[in-house]
Amino acid sequence: MVQINLKSIIRKNGTESLIHSIMHELKTTAWIEDDSGRILVGEGRQDTQFSYPVTIEGRVIGYVKGDENALIIANILDHLAIKETERKKLGAEVLNLYQEINMIFNFSEKLAQTIDASSICIIAFQEAMKVIESDNGVIILMDENSKKLQVKATSGESFFNEEIINAQLQFLLKIIWGVQSEIITDTSSLAEVGIILPEVHSIIYSALKVNHRVMGVIILGSKEEVNYTAADLKLLTTLALQSSSAMESAFLYEKNIREAQEKEQAMRLINEVSGKFVPYEFIESLGHAVLTDVKLGDQVEKIVTVLFSDIRDYTALSEQMTPEENFKFICSFNERMGPSIRKNNGFINQYLGDAIMAIFPGNASDALCAAIEMQRNVIEFNLERIKNGQQPIQIGVGMHTGPLIMGITGDADRLDATTISDTVNTASRLESLTKQYKTGIILSEATLAQIANKEKFHLRSLGLVQLKGKLNHIDIHECFSGITEESIFKRQKTLSTFNRGMFNYSNKSFSAAEQAFLSVAEVDPEDRTAEFFLRSSRACIVSGVKENGEING
Amino acid sequence: MSKKILIVDDEAHIRMLLEQTLEELEDEGVDFFTAENGEQALEIIQAENPQLVYLDVMMPKMNGMEVCRRVKKELELSNVFIVLLTAKGQELDRLKGQEVGADVYMTKPFDPEVILAKAREVLALDN
Repeated sequence: MVQINLKSIIRKNGTESLIHSIMHELKTTAWIEDDSGRILVGEGRQDTQFSYPVTIEGRVIGYVKGDENALIIANILDHLAIKETERKKLGAEVLNLYQEINMIFNFSEKLAQTIDASSICIIAFQEAMKVIESDNGVIILMDENSKKLQVKATSGESFFNEEIINAQLQFLLKIIWGVQSEIITDTSSLAEVGIILPEVHSIIYSALKVNHRVMGVIILGSKEEVNYTAADLKLLTTLALQSSSAMESAFLYEKNIREAQEKEQAMRLINEVSGKFVPYEFIESLGHAVLTDVKLGDQVEKIVTVLFSDIRDYTALSEQMTPEENFKFICSFNERMGPSIRKNNGFINQYLGDAIMAIFPGNASDALCAAIEMQRNVIEFNLERIKNGQQPIQIGVGMHTGPLIMGITGDADRLDATTISDTVNTASRLESLTKQYKTGIILSEATLAQIANKEKFHLRSLGLVQLKGKLNHIDIHECFSGITEESIFKRQKTLSTFNRGMFNYSNKSFSAAEQAFLSVAEVDPEDRTAEFFLRSSRACIVSGVKENGEING
Repeated sequence: MSKKILIVDDEAHIRMLLEQTLEELEDEGVDFFTAENGEQALEIIQAENPQLVYLDVMMPKMNGMEVCRRVKKELELSNVFIVLLTAKGQELDRLKGQEVGADVYMTKPFDPEVILAKAREVLALDN
């Protein structure tokens, strides 16, 4: 503490004028000097009759000199000095307390801004080590599940060893969990059992408690001998209590976050899996975001393009395989087809054995693009199959555009996402026609009408057809974009001849049609569709006149 | 000219704390004055012309804002450095403090080290 000097006592508010008036009343010639002989009040003279010291706790801080009245002044100053000393001591204590309050205030403020246990430990060390003399610190926590002690944080050089802590668990539990806060000025007994480094001399610790449950301990240590005081212990205990509840909240928060994340993850998985069984687009079309919102009777009508694909001669193919091989084959086939459908904004409504039914809610060109990709996938798939000594496969794709009702049918306990539409039947029939017409992709006039950028695709008209069970005839088209580049080139070269053939065929000019298809077949023997029409034309010539150019599909 | 600090707060323990915080400056020749309300503070400021004033905002009679305004705007004592002190949580006062011309604004509970450092800086005393 700063030493009190006489000048500051006299200079205190009002004191100087009081001394002056007393000296005036006493009519004294006395003067006041400080311990260095500097005159503070009055006028010094050489003829000193009397000299009285002013003291604080035995230390002389000045003199009152002059006549006999100097004694009175000296006594007053002595008294003021005692008062000033008391005031200073009180002030020092108040300041000390204030610094503690300030520290606790800062600590609470910082704690309020963090929800992370490690940061809380760091803040606790920072604040504690500022006011409690120490050069290292450790926070040890008890893991509720494993009943093991864990060093959660250290500050400065670590003076504990986690392994030894756990080896000496019972011993530590006895002292820390037993006496919840203490000062150990001499730690040699702890050093003996290896818990603490021998260099550490004094420690001070306090348990971290929540609701009377001890969750751990904060320990500060010093390599020098420190006589920690009860005030230090009280302060550390306050910090420990505040840290404990903050850490408890942090752990709860962490737990909540973890649980919420796990739940979210589980939900996401369920959603992902359910989305694989019932396509998201289906649920979305019904005006819902998740499958759980779907209910019996939900339905929506839309104009869509329905695509059907089927593996040609699958029955014969599957006879050569065991059921397991069969299943594997279908899986690997579907794996190759699905992405092409989704990529082109479609979704698979159903896998029906070797057949796929997909719905394209957007433009019909999406469906056609998907069909072309599927055909190209088959070309690649076949390269692999041939390499493995397997037979190549072929698929037929048919598509039609029209209204479709998607909805949820079934009963209260068993629901199914289903589609009801004549469009589906037509698409399926067109797919069947691909076998007869020996082509890969057939689309209806309705589908073609929706496609704006027709020039992007390689198309040929295949004339009118009356579908099974239908009264009306519909125009159908072939798309040959899904074959190899080389074949496309040949088809294009013969396209006008083929079209002439189709024109004559439709007009029942079968001989002219035969000529046209024959010249196509000569240039492009791979064009099996031209070959089909060549045979049909010949059959019509042989069987006589047909009423019109329709072919019954 | 001697260096002077005026401490103004209606709470005795805060005055004591500030004095205690700054006590080592006494040895370096700084004189201390205290006032427990705004009126008293104004009188001392005019009589003693201190270089540094620690001024509490919330006080009876005349509050710190008003004292500051009079010193800076009416008396135009630009050589008086005013540190406004207010309780934490009333930080909105900061703007008002700037308006009335306070030099620095500090919150209570204050950090004694910051208070002391500010005094040394303003009075140009070496540490």
